[in-house]
Amino acid sequence: MIINGVDIRDSFAEAFPMVGTRLIITADTPEWALIAGRTTTGFATSVIGCGCEAAVERVVPAEETPDGRPGVSILIFAMDFGSLKKVVPLRLGQCVLTCPTTACFAGIETGKRVPLAKTIRYFGDGHQISKKIDSKRFWRVPVMEGEFVCDEDTGSVEGVGGGNFLILARSRGEALAAAEAAVAAMSQVEGNILPFPGGVVRSGSKVGSKYKGLFASTNHHYCPTLYGTVDSALTPEVGSVMEIVIDGVSFDAVAACTRAGIEAVCRIGAAGGVIAIDAGNYGGNLGPFHFKLREIMAGSPLVTEAL
Amino acid sequence: MAGLHLKPRAPLAARADLSGVTPAALATLSLREAEQLAVPYGGGRVALAELFFVEGGPDGVLLIEIGDERLDHVGAGLASGEIIVDGVVGAWAGLGMSGGVLRISGAAGAYLGAEMSGGRIELNGAAGDHAGAASSGSRRGMSGGVLAIHGSAGALLGERQRGGLIVVAGDAGEGLATDMIAGTVAVGGSIGPRLGRGMKRGTVFTHAVPELPAGFADTGSHDLVALRLMSRRVPELGAFIGAATHARRLVGDTLMGGQGEVLVV
Repeated sequence: MIINGVDIRDSFAEAFPMVGTRLIITADTPEWALIAGRTTTGFATSVIGCGCEAAVERVVPAEETPDGRPGVSILIFAMDFGSLKKVVPLRLGQCVLTCPTTACFAGIETGKRVPLAKTIRYFGDGHQISKKIDSKRFWRVPVMEGEFVCDEDTGSVEGVGGGNFLILARSRGEALAAAEAAVAAMSQVEGNILPFPGGVVRSGSKVGSKYKGLFASTNHHYCPTLYGTVDSALTPEVGSVMEIVIDGVSFDAVAACTRAGIEAVCRIGAAGGVIAIDAGNYGGNLGPFHFKLREIMAGSPLVTEAL
Repeated sequence: MAGLHLKPRAPLAARADLSGVTPAALATLSLREAEQLAVPYGGGRVALAELFFVEGGPDGVLLIEIGDERLDHVGAGLASGEIIVDGVVGAWAGLGMSGGVLRISGAAGAYLGAEMSGGRIELNGAAGDHAGAASSGSRRGMSGGVLAIHGSAGALLGERQRGGLIVVAGDAGEGLATDMIAGTVAVGGSIGPRLGRGMKRGTVFTHAVPELPAGFADTGSHDLVALRLMSRRVPELGAFIGAATHARRLVGDTLMGGQGEVLVV
């Protein structure tokens, strides 16, 4: 499959089940809401080293938030529910509770409950106040700035982690420009996050290493400087490869996000230095979710245009 | 049988008790069985048909026409369905109800919604004393649900209230929220003396600073995010709080170690 001169390789992304939740963080200004969101989702690129994967999902306008103030929604994913129950209150306590003017609310109502103020309320040292309306409880924790308002808990979903695709381009600048365009398009698809810096990974990894005890190491098959010395997946004209990793609340969400990203890259096309789109997998034996690039792109309007 | 329609044959000469006469209970009876349902009346028990003309009605609804101030325990124990009273009711209406809706177009006697744990009561007229309170000898009053009083309420509204929401459009009598344990009360009109004596937790919303016992401390006026949240999340409070973002917060009853609050918005 070739779209606008870009070869969509016959490959697939292999993804894994993850457990995730969504928080709505509000503040007096959009800037402080975004600061809280970014701080809370900092150091959360890969579950291997960070314990979770998290990022800002979208900016939420004031009229959509529970308290009518500007906000952001964030998604946090972990490998299992026990881990999620640990990392969420930890990040909430260190990054939202401490951030000026913020409040935090449940972003998902269904699924197993993940504690929020249920844990953090003890910071109030007995002065905390709860209100339960219908079956929903929130807490007011007195702090030096005023009060920290936070829902008791939030719901969770069984999502998908590790969706991905690779952008193979002629140069580093062209690969990055294509990746930036993909991130911009993918950020519009709700229910997904791109947990790596700016949404882009420049150091895609493979499982295992020649060094004992190292779980992951550089994906040498896609390193341009090793072309000709290893079993390379590249062609001679590829000068740089960028990867985009996607975590989403469902298979369909990740598939839609993947398509949006590849479409954005294909619009840049060969004229912009993009050579091919590939994906990272482990042979299909490890992860139950397979995102086949050509199947995902089969329904794209770009394919019809190309025909 | 579907729903039921009750119309009094004559004004009651003694107090009648409609405990357990709920849409769910009536759903298992035929119209004939419903007519023969024995209800306490004065010192004895009589068939429902001796007090009311009994007809079928919409599914899940018990409609009582005219009402009577001697008609007690209307909706007591209600767990689902709807009871509509086109008139007044006596004492203990909605006692211990856990779900469903009780609508009363007239006034209600004492202990309206006492110890209710869920559901909703809509009262168009005035409520007697002890609305949403604990019944005689009980330690805890209303613990959940919504009690909306569009008229005024008598003394000891929300006494020993444990949870839930009471909204009064009119005035509230003396002893409001006495020994309140938790929950929320909003009063749109004036409030009688001795509000919140022995209050442990809970919130009372008012529009003016009420007369308070010595155990209340004025913490000043504050920008409370919780106001914005409650205004949006709780429709009944949305109308009361409006666009207010600040409230004067008075905390008590500190003489009893309490941390209840009166929020003046």
